Amino acid sequence: MRQPVSRHCTEEELLMHFLYEETPNTAREISSHLLECGECDAILKDYADVVRRIQAWSVPDLADDVWRTQKAAVLAQVRQDQAIGKNRGLVSAFLKSLQSTWSYALEHPLPTLGYVAIAITFAMEQTISTFRLDRILPGASDIFAILKQIL
Amino acid sequence: MIAPQPDEDLVTRILGGEEDAFSQLYDRHRQRVYSTVYRIIQDAGEAQDATQEVFVKLYRSLSDWNPSKAKFSTWLYRLAANHAIDCWRVRRRRLELPPSSASEWEVLGERPTGDGSPSPLGVLEGKEVVGRIRRCVEDLPDLQKKVFLLRYFQDLKLEEIAEMEDCSLGTVKTSLFRATRAMRRALRRTGGPR
Repeated sequence: MRQPVSRHCTEEELLMHFLYEETPNTAREISSHLLECGECDAILKDYADVVRRIQAWSVPDLADDVWRTQKAAVLAQVRQDQAIGKNRGLVSAFLKSLQSTWSYALEHPLPTLGYVAIAITFAMEQTISTFRLDRILPGASDIFAILKQIL
Repeated sequence: MIAPQPDEDLVTRILGGEEDAFSQLYDRHRQRVYSTVYRIIQDAGEAQDATQEVFVKLYRSLSDWNPSKAKFSTWLYRLAANHAIDCWRVRRRRLELPPSSASEWEVLGERPTGDGSPSPLGVLEGKEVVGRIRRCVEDLPDLQKKVFLLRYFQDLKLEEIAEMEDCSLGTVKTSLFRATRAMRRALRRTGGPR
C-alpha cells in the first residue's frame, strides 16, 4: 500500500488534485495526506472556492436575430469561398497541365523540338495560305518550302 | 427522436460541399465559441465580429483538422482562443490600454448576508468579482490565458490542451496553476478566499 505524502503538498499539486488532473497514484497519496493535514486541506478548499468563483463568470447569450444575421454573413462568405475555390480549381488544373508538359520537354528535349517544329510548320503553311502572304511578301512560299525541307 | 450527427460526420459532409452541415455545426458551437472569444476580447461588439471570423476561418481550415490528434471541439475552441488573442492584441494597440493593475480596484468591505438572496452589496460584489477576473485574464500571458479559459470554461482536459499546444503536460499544468494563483490573489481583495 502506498504511503501518504509525508511533506506538505505544493499549491500546484492541490489545485491539480481538485481538478482531477493528476495520476491515480498521486491522487491516492494526496487524499491520504489531506485526511491528516488541516493546513493543506484548507488551501485546497480555498482553491476550490476560487475555481467556483471563476466559473461563475457567465457570458450572456446573444439575441436570436443577432445570431441569424451572423449566420447569414458566415454562410455568404462560405459561398463566396466555394465559388473562388471552383475558379481556383480550373486555373490550377490548367497550370498543372502546363507543368507536366514542361517537365516532359525537359526530360525529352529532342522529341519536343520535333513536335514544336511540326507545329510551326503547320502554323506557317496555314498563315501563308490564309493571309495570302505571297502577295504581300513575294517568295514567302519559297522560303517556307526551304524551311520545310530543312525541318 | 433522431440523435444529432457527430461533429466528425458533419465535417465530412462540409468537405463534400454540403452547406446545411456547416449551418448545423455553426448552431451547435456558436455560443461556446462566442463565450471563449468574449472572455478574451471583453467587448460584446468586437467579440461578435471575431466569432464570425472564427467560423469563416474554421471553414477555410477545415481540411487541416486531424481527428487523430484532437477532438473537433478541442480544435475549434483553440482556434477561437488563438483568433481572439490576436484580435485582443489589435484592440489593445488601437485603444492603447495600459496593463491593468489590480491595486486600482476598490475593496468592498462587507460580504453579502446569508439568507440566500443576494443583497445589493452582494450584487455589487458579484460585479466586482467579475471585474477583477476580467482584469486578471487580460494581464495573463497568452498561454496561461488560453489554458485558463479552455480548462475552466470549455472543460477540456489539460492533456488535450497540451497536445494541441504542442507542449508538455507539465508546462500546461504550471500555466493553469499560475493563472489560478493570480486570480486567487486578485479575488482576495474582494473578501473572498483568504
